[in-house]
Order: sequence, then structure tokens, then C-alpha cells
Amino acid sequence: MVLGASFDTAEANRRFATEEAFPYPLLCDVDRRLGLSYKACANASDDYPRRITYVIGADSRIEQAITTKDPGGQADSILASL
Amino acid sequence: MSLVGTFLRRLFAGKSESALLPVGSVAPAFAVQDHMGRTVQLADLRGRRVVLWFFPKASTPG
Repeated sequence: MVLGASFDTAEANRRFATEEAFPYPLLCDVDRRLGLSYKACANASDDYPRRITYVIGADSRIEQAITTKDPGGQADSILASL
Repeated sequence: MSLVGTFLRRLFAGKSESALLPVGSVAPAFAVQDHMGRTVQLADLRGRRVVLWFFPKASTPG
């Protein structure tokens, strides 16, 4: 299961999902609660979350915590590690 | 003194910037609406592996 997450509105993320044909949900964390609890941002007033990715195991524990430096190449390396 | 202060500020700024949730810790519960208005809850996904990917802004590269 893949979940994208940003601080965008549902409308903006609907457009993005259509443009990119994402087959998975894009979470619309407009109040930054998700971003704050996952340390993607430091304040509820932040404009953007950091580029980070978590792999959460079936037991709901964090398996991997990744700061993305290469957005294009990250997906392959994460998939390869699973 | 100011050099040491600058060094320490940078050191700690760097640390807080890079701090993520620790591997092995319990993922914080969440319930967030997705782009279709559906509520997605981590509790409902228990038993499945989840990749949670934060991106800065819709309709921008990466």
C-alpha cells in the first residue's frame, strides 16, 4: 500500500493524481497534523512538508525512515529493499 | 566564542532538521482525508506494509 501525503487541498491533489495517473491515495494534510506527527514539518504554519518517506511494517512499526535526496531514483531503491 | 556558538547552532539545527521517527518505533496513528474525500486510517491498514511518502506540493516534480 502506497500513500502520498502533502499539505495540498483535495482539489489540488485530485488534479495531481489525474495528471500523474497515481493509482493510490494522496493524503491532504491541510492542518499539518500528519506532517507534525511524522516530523515532515516543524510547525503547523510550514508551507511544505520535507521530502521524507516511511516504510511502516504490518505490525505498525517504522521499518524504514528515509530523507529523499533523489526523488527520481528513490522509488526503485525502496521497492528493491522490500 | 561566536565561532563556537555558530558551530553549535549549525550542529543542532542540522540534527533537528534530519531527525525522523526512529526505526522500530510505533507509527503514530492517523486519520486523514485523501484526494477523493475518503478517510484513510493507519489502524485500518494494520497487517499490511505501508509506504508513506511526503511530497512538497501537488503538480511539481519530485
